[in-house]
Amino acid sequence: MKHRASRIARAALAAALGAATAAAVPAAAQAAKATDPKAAALVEAYESKTDLAGLDVTSTFTLIQKKEGEADRVLRIQIYRRDSADTFTLLFQYPDSEKGKGYWRSKDDLFLYLPSTREFVYRNRKDDVGGSDVRADLFGKPNTLAQYWATSAGTAKVSSWDTDVVRLDAKKLDVAYPVQKMYFRKTDGLPVKLESFSAGETLLRTTYYVDYKALSGGKYIFTKLLATDALEKGQKTYLTNEGISTEKIANYTFSKAFLEEKSR
Amino acid sequence: MTDFIALAFKNVFRNGKRSLTLGINYAIVAFILTALAAFTRGAQENVSSSIVRASAGHITVSGQYAKDGRIYNGLLRTADIERIARESLGQDATVFRRYLVKSAVYFNGMSKRLSFTGIDSGKDTGFKGQMAFSSGGWDAWAADQDGVALPSSVAKYFGLQMGDDLVVSARTRFGAFNTGILKVSGIYDTDNYFMGELVLVHYDFLRNLDLAEADASTTIYIYLDSTAGLAAKRDAFASALGGAGFEVSRPKSDAEAISAVSAASQKYEVDKENRDRVMPKLSTIDEVLGIVRSIVVAVQGLGALVAAIMLFVIAVSVFINLRMTINERLREIGSMRAMGVEAKAVTGLFVMEGSALAVMAAAAGSLLAALLCLVVRYAIPIPAGGNLAIFLDSGRLALAPNLGDMLILVALIGLIAAAFSFFPARRGGRIRPVEALNATF
Repeated sequence: MKHRASRIARAALAAALGAATAAAVPAAAQAAKATDPKAAALVEAYESKTDLAGLDVTSTFTLIQKKEGEADRVLRIQIYRRDSADTFTLLFQYPDSEKGKGYWRSKDDLFLYLPSTREFVYRNRKDDVGGSDVRADLFGKPNTLAQYWATSAGTAKVSSWDTDVVRLDAKKLDVAYPVQKMYFRKTDGLPVKLESFSAGETLLRTTYYVDYKALSGGKYIFTKLLATDALEKGQKTYLTNEGISTEKIANYTFSKAFLEEKSR
Repeated sequence: MTDFIALAFKNVFRNGKRSLTLGINYAIVAFILTALAAFTRGAQENVSSSIVRASAGHITVSGQYAKDGRIYNGLLRTADIERIARESLGQDATVFRRYLVKSAVYFNGMSKRLSFTGIDSGKDTGFKGQMAFSSGGWDAWAADQDGVALPSSVAKYFGLQMGDDLVVSARTRFGAFNTGILKVSGIYDTDNYFMGELVLVHYDFLRNLDLAEADASTTIYIYLDSTAGLAAKRDAFASALGGAGFEVSRPKSDAEAISAVSAASQKYEVDKENRDRVMPKLSTIDEVLGIVRSIVVAVQGLGALVAAIMLFVIAVSVFINLRMTINERLREIGSMRAMGVEAKAVTGLFVMEGSALAVMAAAAGSLLAALLCLVVRYAIPIPAGGNLAIFLDSGRLALAPNLGDMLILVALIGLIAAAFSFFPARRGGRIRPVEALNATF
């Protein structure tokens, strides 16, 4: 009886994980290597709306990480973003243990500054920000179609919104999530949900874009986000994006020297 | 001369109480030093053997490779390296490839980061004899390509049983996440400290999890029939690899050697040279064990310091005792001198007495320590999970008393006793017969 239960449990688990096994060839490699025009149009429309090229954006992110059985972890980060130069600077403000730490990205290079040793560590651009569920590639200009093949995956209802679903399969395995599903609101084409899968198509995390703020020129920036870890049950990160300003930022801000100076 | 030696040994027992007091001191020092030597020798042999059986070869090949503008940890052209190892080190060289990955494991809402070791179960069977399975077994694990053999501590942490499925999620060398499901096919205990956290899976499982090429590995272990001239053998191997287009290096320090054999990071760096190449790093077991040797030397140094302090205290006792003895034996000295015994011979007699006592007592102390070490080594089981785990061999404390060490120790104590006996003995020898006889009659 126990054996049967175990078999059923394994079957259920395999189904939940998309029948993934580690020996599996990555789904991304098996998927059709083509982007369908409808999906591409949805992605391009969304990127156009959230592409802040021409604008300098300053804002404050507050992340609250919830983990079952542990006290909430709060991070506050000052963001300086210049999409036209494909660069951003993140500066940790809270808690005190993280204060002075920061990231500086210039195109594909992402550096983490550690004030304790006063050194810059080269990081994968998909680095978790401060060990949270939020990734560094969230900040900055999206370039989805350069990294993924996009195909339409029907429609779905997310909360009260009707959405178009686009499946993204990585062109190269140097992205954090080789398979993603984006759910675009039919009303304005902005994504409200993003499911991120491993190469074996196991759901790893789901990100909900709860709210956006309209900027000048028909541009949008998200103001509330919820990221949930699918493997570690109960682990969630809430993110709020406040104090958004589009004032010009000094060039010096996008440099290693700026991070060093701010950590003193 | 023989008579003098016999007399010296006989004289040792003339003042039994005084000799006993001094002898106990010698015996204690000899006991401590013998036990310490047995412990450090046993620890060194046990740690070396355990590391070789768990996580290092006589020569361990690790390293990096550059491909398409990025540098990854690990090796490519694994088959070429294996072939060159056999060609340059002899066909008797045993060569295993392994794949090491650190990955998060999820089960029943719990998670833990574990270090996985992927091996070829058909060839790399060295772990088999060191694993005492409480559930499942080696054959069950080897038969299931998605099987995992876990230490009981990990199984207990998750509450795992045979047949349970674990989800593993690893950041691959390229940056992408990959996941897989492992089935528990063995739960084991081991008394090899360096296997205590070993999570054993199949080589191909980990290579696929890491999305690595078919000829990729993280480490290659080479075992030789003899480790004599290991550095020269490594040089020959390095030269052969260099001839085949590999860019070979050696660890610059013992710490780098340990780091090289245990590295399992999948993070890549940008290759500034932008030139595809494989860069194996060859570490010998001597280099990997360098830190162990340093610790042993430090322990031995501490023991030697304690012994030196004790010997100094004993030396002062010897000095005072012998002066008292000479004062008590003036009549005997006078008689010997009157009979024509030379001053040197009298000095020699007292020095021999001091040495004889030291040698006999030290030998007894050393022998007792050796016997006690053997009793502890073979008769007293010690739980595997405690603080002494690193020093355990088959559940027993790895004490290795050595006859050579004991003989050196006893001789050393005898020499020290002779040195400190010499000055009061010389004073005794220089006493003129008239003075000695006048003082007693």
